[in-house]
Amino acid sequence: MNKSRPKSARALIWAGVLLLLCTVTLPVLPYIWASDSEDITSLDTVENNPRANFWRNVRTGAAGYSAVGGPEANVLINNAGQNWRQFRMNLLAPYGSYLMGAVLFSIAAFYALRGPIRHRSDEPKELLLRFSVYQRVVHWFTAILFWILALTGLILLYGRLVLIPLFGSKGFALTASASKEAHNLFGPIFIVALFMLVIEYARDNFYRKGDLSWLIKGGGMLGKHASAGRFNFGEKIWFWLVLLLGTIISFSGIILDFANLNFDRNTLGLAHVLHGIAAILFISFSFGHIYLGTIGTKGTLRGMTTGYVEQTWAELHHDRWQPDDEMTPETGPLPAAQNE
Amino acid sequence: MSDFILGPFWNFAVIVFTAGVVGRIAMILMCGLSKDLAAARGSSVTGAVGTVARRFFPRKETVKSNRFHIIAGYMFHIGLLALLFFAAPHVQFLKNHLLGFGWPAMPHWAFILSAEIAFAGLILLWLRRVMHPVTRLLTRLDDHLAAWLTFFAMVTGCLALFESFAGLRVLHILGVELLMIYFPFSNLMHAFTFFLSRGTTGARAGRHGVKA
Amino acid sequence: MSSTTTYEPELDFEKGADVLKRQIDWRVASYFSSCVHCGLCAEACQFYVETGDPRYTPIYKLEPLKKVWRQEYTFFGKMAKALGITKPLSEKDFVDWEDLVYDSCTLCARCSMVCPVGNDIAYMIRKEREGFSAAGFAPDELKGATKRAVETGSPMGVTWKALSAQIKHIERETGLPVPVDVKGAEYLGLLSSLEIMGFPEYISSLTRILHQAGVSWTLSSETFEATNSGIQIGDSKVAAELVERVLKVATDLEVSNIISPECGHAYTAIRWESANLIGKPIPFRVVHIVELLDELKRNGRISTTGKTDVKLTFHDPCNLVRKGGVVEEPRRLLNSVASDFVEMKQHGVMNWCCGGGGGVSANDRASGLRLAAFNIKKRQLDELGVNTLVTACANCRNILEEGIEHNEMDVEVVGLTELIAEYLDPPEAGESDSTS
Repeated sequence: MNKSRPKSARALIWAGVLLLLCTVTLPVLPYIWASDSEDITSLDTVENNPRANFWRNVRTGAAGYSAVGGPEANVLINNAGQNWRQFRMNLLAPYGSYLMGAVLFSIAAFYALRGPIRHRSDEPKELLLRFSVYQRVVHWFTAILFWILALTGLILLYGRLVLIPLFGSKGFALTASASKEAHNLFGPIFIVALFMLVIEYARDNFYRKGDLSWLIKGGGMLGKHASAGRFNFGEKIWFWLVLLLGTIISFSGIILDFANLNFDRNTLGLAHVLHGIAAILFISFSFGHIYLGTIGTKGTLRGMTTGYVEQTWAELHHDRWQPDDEMTPETGPLPAAQNE
Repeated sequence: MSDFILGPFWNFAVIVFTAGVVGRIAMILMCGLSKDLAAARGSSVTGAVGTVARRFFPRKETVKSNRFHIIAGYMFHIGLLALLFFAAPHVQFLKNHLLGFGWPAMPHWAFILSAEIAFAGLILLWLRRVMHPVTRLLTRLDDHLAAWLTFFAMVTGCLALFESFAGLRVLHILGVELLMIYFPFSNLMHAFTFFLSRGTTGARAGRHGVKA
Repeated sequence: MSSTTTYEPELDFEKGADVLKRQIDWRVASYFSSCVHCGLCAEACQFYVETGDPRYTPIYKLEPLKKVWRQEYTFFGKMAKALGITKPLSEKDFVDWEDLVYDSCTLCARCSMVCPVGNDIAYMIRKEREGFSAAGFAPDELKGATKRAVETGSPMGVTWKALSAQIKHIERETGLPVPVDVKGAEYLGLLSSLEIMGFPEYISSLTRILHQAGVSWTLSSETFEATNSGIQIGDSKVAAELVERVLKVATDLEVSNIISPECGHAYTAIRWESANLIGKPIPFRVVHIVELLDELKRNGRISTTGKTDVKLTFHDPCNLVRKGGVVEEPRRLLNSVASDFVEMKQHGVMNWCCGGGGGVSANDRASGLRLAAFNIKKRQLDELGVNTLVTACANCRNILEEGIEHNEMDVEVVGLTELIAEYLDPPEAGESDSTS
């Protein structure tokens, strides 16, 4: 019914790209300010910072009496802190980067060898509604928050290694502070988004007969056609991973976000370890999801932008899917009117 | 650059905002309106006041089909208003630079909660805007700019939360300045003109004896 | 019937654009300034709800008027137009929007009730039609009806001869005189062509009720038509001309009140727009027949006996509830003659239109859309499970009957005046009651 990609879909994709670009560049903005913000120079004269001097003093081994009744209030130096630091710097950071790098590399290699999966594209194209407005909104709500959190989180983990050498420490101080605030602020919203996402999508993501044979056939990537319903087994696995990793990240995130609520050091350390591992895994899997949803499989993205997929796309990837009639009134008919 | 943003540019933004808003409203009123000569069936004043007040709430008949929109709309507007008028730095600012008197600011946890509600509302509304066929058809560049500038002002405000770095605070001020400058030229004006539009509809309906 | 003007619409873009520009008053300017493109009005419009086509979003139907406002009254709009970034209003806008302005809007004003910033969208569509009709972009049937209204006095070309034949028949049937051209009567009765041709029972009911109430009233042989095609097509000149004819006979016959018949837009035209159209207050009180009946009933001037126990519901004519505030009157009347009156879920000021208001009923190419819009009415009726639907507008009645027939539903549509007449106290001796 529409000859080329509709104008509105194109606009949507550009909006998405713009959004991603902005989220990526936003953390870098402070560097511009750092160059002429005067208070940053105070970092160079660390000796004058009374707080730093105080801690320098504590580090020398000075002990004292504490009237504070909080957990570990009387413990001045705790080895667990150092252990956590060791894990973070020596295990999580390097192996995390190897994993993410490896995933990116494999995707690039796969794309180079196999190229995008294409469906037969007939003219005129018959369109089917795959995702309702609400389903799309919830997906992108989660996705936007995921990327804000992933980027700020990665800055907090790798900023020291990557950004300081690149831009220097002045700007990083601002970036790190801004990232921390953003991460803490958007985290709880992500939990809400995750909740909405799981409720909305759970129904079609339970295991159904035929899913295993889809997996055995490698999801159709091994040459043979693999039959699937509205969601294939790969998408279902991704859904449950999102739920699992999301839950771990959410709970550990809450503990870290509200660290002032009397959690002891070990709890906080454990929360952080889990948070870091789950986040790295989450990001790595998301690369695959993004690849398959965009350039990896032609015609998939428009399902999540306009809501509609081509009939031939559905036949190839989701032949057992019965488009849901009850979804139609909510979104109206095919968006023909706008495609002029 | 900081000096420029905090000094002359701030003054410029305030002037554009104030003059722009006043000018826009004056321009609307100057369009004229012919007097209603038909015999009244009710009071236009009661009608105007009533409609201005009643349209803060959706009609119960429309709640079901617009549930998502209504919830997200309330989240954003209530969250934003709370941030705007009850965030501690804002109360302080209004007291010191504008009004001369202040009022109790909200506690930190309430600030965070308001910010989260407002952000969730804004993002959800914007996503609905680009996803729903109706809003996609209606939306213009203006709507995106308004949403994005608001987001930018809000997000920089939250990054500058503890005012740990002057640079972040300056960034927030810049965001607010851009928003203020853009405000009178955009449909952000609805923050002021909704009194006019609701009022005039209510007045006419009131005269006709209709509870609009 | 003598005609003082003619109506010869021609395609004239310049004129249309000019008229459109002059429609912008501060009400419209404040509406466009407030609109944030939220799209909530869509769900209030039955054309959108029933088709799901986003083009039927009420505020979208106003794009041409909004374009004029943007380019004439806003900073960026003026700048963009000057720099050639945006195209000025063109004939294409009229071509592209004609069906949205005339086919998919009944001026029912339901959208005006829900807009969060309070925009009266129907008010603007009414104004936008001024520009469209001036440019000659209006449905042919509406143009024809307007031409007939101006030239013959009736949009359907009904002549006094036809009406007087009906009157003779009614006089025979009721045994009561139908007063015509009675100078010094208290009330001037008006009719719609649709009633004369399709629902003459209204005239006989009116005769019997007013007779019982002892109201001195009269019809005019010179101007009996209450409907106003000028309001529907959006031509204030024609609308004023048609209103002036009514006011002229009202003056000539020295009446002090004018009764609008069971018609929605006629009520709006004479009650609310007439003074504004001629530019001065009118020296007559205008009432809708439903208002008058309620008044007479409450003053004890008409009395009824018995009630129907048939389950029935009431379809609010949009013009009565959303433009005239006549909500309680028909309900009081109905409850006085019906023991099982039930309300549709959305009634009163939030009723759903029959689908044929604002000239859509006369528009042939809109018939498919009109029937789609009727589906919402069908669902409302099915939900209640009623077989009798009362209304107080001949046009609603006509469109409802069309929809009922199309959907093969078992529902009878009755005029409220008729229903009241049916339960009127038995006539005095010597007069026969032949209606029930």
